[in-house]
Amino acid sequence: MRIGVFICHCGENIGRTVDCAAVAESCGRFPGVAYSIDNKYMCSDPGQNVVKNAIREKNLDAVVVGSCSPHMHEKTFRKACADAGLNPYLFEMANLREHCSWVHEDRIEATKKAIELTRIAVEKVKRNDPLSPIRVPVTKRSLVIGGGISGIQAALDIANAGFEVVLVEKEPSIGGHMSQLSETFPTLDCSQCILTPRMVEVYQHPKIKLLTYSEVENVEGFIGNFKVTVRKKARSIDETKCNGCGNCQQKCPIKKKAYSEFEENLAFRPAIYVPFPQAVPNIPVIDRSVCTYYQTGKCQMCVKVCGREAIMFNQEDSFVTEDVGSIIVATGYKLYTIDKKPDESAIKGYGEYGYGKYKDVVDGLQFERIASASGPTSGEILRPSDKTVPKKIVFIQCVGSRDEAKGFSYCSKICCMYTAKHAMLYKHKVHEGEAYVFYMDIRAGGKGYDEFVRRAIEEDHVKYIRGRVSRIYEENGKYIVKGEDTLSNMPVTIDADMVVLATAMIAQPNAPKLAQTIGMSYDKYGFYNEAHPKLRPVEVSTAGVFLAGACQAPKDIPESVAMASAAASKSLVLFGSDFLEREPTIAKVNESVCAGCFYCQKVCAYNAIEKKEIKDRNGNVVKVIAYVNSGLCQGCGTCNAVCPSKSVELIGFNDEQIYAEINAL
Amino acid sequence: MNELREKAKELLQNGTVKVIIGYVEGTTPNRTKPFIARSVEDADKLVFNKFCVNNLAVYLTRKEFKQNGVVGIVAKGCDVKAIVQLIQENQVNKDDVYIIGMNCSGVVSDLGEEFNENTVAVKCLHCTVHTPHLHHTLLGTLEETPKHEDKNFALMQKIDSMTAEERFDFWEAEFEKCVKCYACRQACPMCYCEKCIADKSVPRWIESSAHKRGNFAWNMIRAFHLAGRCVGCNECERACPAEIPLSLLNRKMGMTAKKEFDYVAGMNLNTPTLVGTYDVNDREDFIK
Repeated sequence: MRIGVFICHCGENIGRTVDCAAVAESCGRFPGVAYSIDNKYMCSDPGQNVVKNAIREKNLDAVVVGSCSPHMHEKTFRKACADAGLNPYLFEMANLREHCSWVHEDRIEATKKAIELTRIAVEKVKRNDPLSPIRVPVTKRSLVIGGGISGIQAALDIANAGFEVVLVEKEPSIGGHMSQLSETFPTLDCSQCILTPRMVEVYQHPKIKLLTYSEVENVEGFIGNFKVTVRKKARSIDETKCNGCGNCQQKCPIKKKAYSEFEENLAFRPAIYVPFPQAVPNIPVIDRSVCTYYQTGKCQMCVKVCGREAIMFNQEDSFVTEDVGSIIVATGYKLYTIDKKPDESAIKGYGEYGYGKYKDVVDGLQFERIASASGPTSGEILRPSDKTVPKKIVFIQCVGSRDEAKGFSYCSKICCMYTAKHAMLYKHKVHEGEAYVFYMDIRAGGKGYDEFVRRAIEEDHVKYIRGRVSRIYEENGKYIVKGEDTLSNMPVTIDADMVVLATAMIAQPNAPKLAQTIGMSYDKYGFYNEAHPKLRPVEVSTAGVFLAGACQAPKDIPESVAMASAAASKSLVLFGSDFLEREPTIAKVNESVCAGCFYCQKVCAYNAIEKKEIKDRNGNVVKVIAYVNSGLCQGCGTCNAVCPSKSVELIGFNDEQIYAEINAL
Repeated sequence: MNELREKAKELLQNGTVKVIIGYVEGTTPNRTKPFIARSVEDADKLVFNKFCVNNLAVYLTRKEFKQNGVVGIVAKGCDVKAIVQLIQENQVNKDDVYIIGMNCSGVVSDLGEEFNENTVAVKCLHCTVHTPHLHHTLLGTLEETPKHEDKNFALMQKIDSMTAEERFDFWEAEFEKCVKCYACRQACPMCYCEKCIADKSVPRWIESSAHKRGNFAWNMIRAFHLAGRCVGCNECERACPAEIPLSLLNRKMGMTAKKEFDYVAGMNLNTPTLVGTYDVNDREDFIK
């Protein structure tokens, strides 16, 4: 063989601790190595030319580069090899930076180790086979999970580029949390006024297939070729017949049995309902847990008033399968509800604030509904308990956020802004009212954000108190808020009529489940992990899956929208070509020795192992063995590990190659 | 005995099965040997007694039987465990086997011995399937199983209490006897690979020389390959000419599977296999 070895200094990164020239010289003496040289920057253009020229001039048939991690520059050097006419898989990389120079100090020992690492790569490359990439077609269609503002934006962007989108929303209507908001910071424009046109656009878009009251059940496949199963939960309504007249919900006798989710439990809704008047689609659902018909078999009032025979009591969940090339996850967030409706993931704390106990201690979303013109009070600021105008409201920030002891260590990011907005809205509506804000710090980074908070303080005279609240209790119809002003070092007591808690934004409780369905990772709070915090903020580690909005971390609307458009553009990049090239390093079954125990099939995370019948000349099945679907296999090697007879190997990482590496040590 | 022969004749006559794998009397007393009955005349030779020790399930994976349509097999409860495991691992088609289940109250630990309370096989002391848990027909009657002290278990406890070095020395001494005849593999119904890893030469995973490395590699790899799969028939230990106490390894693995995952191999066709399932709640703290 004629192997070329190229040792990179990586500027000073490797050269500082490793004597690169000595490594190159030693490696030159390895059997099979025809050429060996060091260079300041192998990845630079001149560096790559050294490789290319050597391949041509020295007639090399394999290349080893000792430099950084393959993660960093394997592609670079493979391409350099290909440019010079060498099969790119006849190339190996020795990681002399992360595995050597960065973690060692002793120059002599590190140099020795660098030689050993290069020797391993040389032994491996001797046994490499020329490989060519696998080409797979791309389905130019996208799935967007979540119909909040992020999902809506992503869906519209992709659809407007001319590609089909399937938008799946688990609630009866799209719109998400943004549809619940009153006004939005920092411009105070009406949330629904800017959102509902987008919702309608989604509904009417010829390229968007909208599946509401639906959830993703299963995801199979891989980038460019996902097969997604969606469960359409039974609405108990024939969507093709209903015209959204609303008679059924007006006549439904269930008036005070079920709290409205949309109104954050501040109002009731009937058993058959659309969540809010501008809902898209304007088709009701029946809440079977409270509907008289499902409980007792009687009533059927909705059937009587429906002129279109759209009520379907016996409707069952149905499943649809969609072929898509990319998936955008925009499942949003949930507000931490302390112990009012404790869910399993929620921490228990802040009982001292009386939230859930006192009707007038509400959370941020509840206050949004109170302040909203479409809300239960038609926009009048009234206390939930006695419907009187509160004269004094205390707003408490960071309830659950930035509190490792009782809540979550992260900052929920939007609370500083929306609390300022709440206080402002209150002051605009109740001029004589007093608004107090307890804060830890004001975090108002963003265009026009700090100005907005200053306006609340300076123009609307909201009183900001830096400190925490220790306790809230009721006394003579007032809520006594005991806190501390850390700037004056004085205890503070305020007799408030109402308290608004800016509770933390948390991940959706079922976020881990969806992550497992799709194959994403998530942090300890349940927020999805991006592939790289700086350079790949909307991708996840699974190719073809992108993130948008607050499912990744707490975010406000502009950020969510920007991220959604970014995710959409990433999808569109994918749709820019008809074929995808995939790494050929996948598993391969040795058909002559496979015994067909199918343990590989059981452990394969990608459903890539299929059964294949081996037949004799007469067409009789001789044996059934494992077969690797090259489209699905990701080359993880789990099958390889579990196979008792080593009848399946990873191309490019076969047992012989790995053994050679170990034996080279 | 008669009911077994009658049943066998009936099955062969009406074509339910092509052949029946069973036992016939051995050439010397207190012995039986495996036998393939292909005709009604053959069926008259079949026996079942305390000396039917062999696990006949090992033959089910042979190529010549796989081509044979439905195969009848005379099986004790422990043999049925092997059949269940083989079905789960796609080696035997559920519809291609007809199990003549035999009520069994224990067999001798080795052929040629008298059957009494001292010679009953250790596996029979803890048997939970004296009546086979899966069968197409059930024959024979149950008696009380003779009991003796489980010396095997006492030895396991002793090994458990050893330091790692002592344990290593113990097994080194045992494995040193290994001549790599692979009789353990041939007798094992679970060792059905077409090409055993021991026979792989590129690269050679297991050294075939009598070196300590090869001795350990073979016996440990076999033990790990059987972890969560071994049904405890103990045929490997019986087949071993060097008298290596292989059952200690397999039994220990089985006990771990039971303790940590509440799993017993070969008990239920519908329970997913232990090695083939992953659960995020799987414990791993016992692996040190």
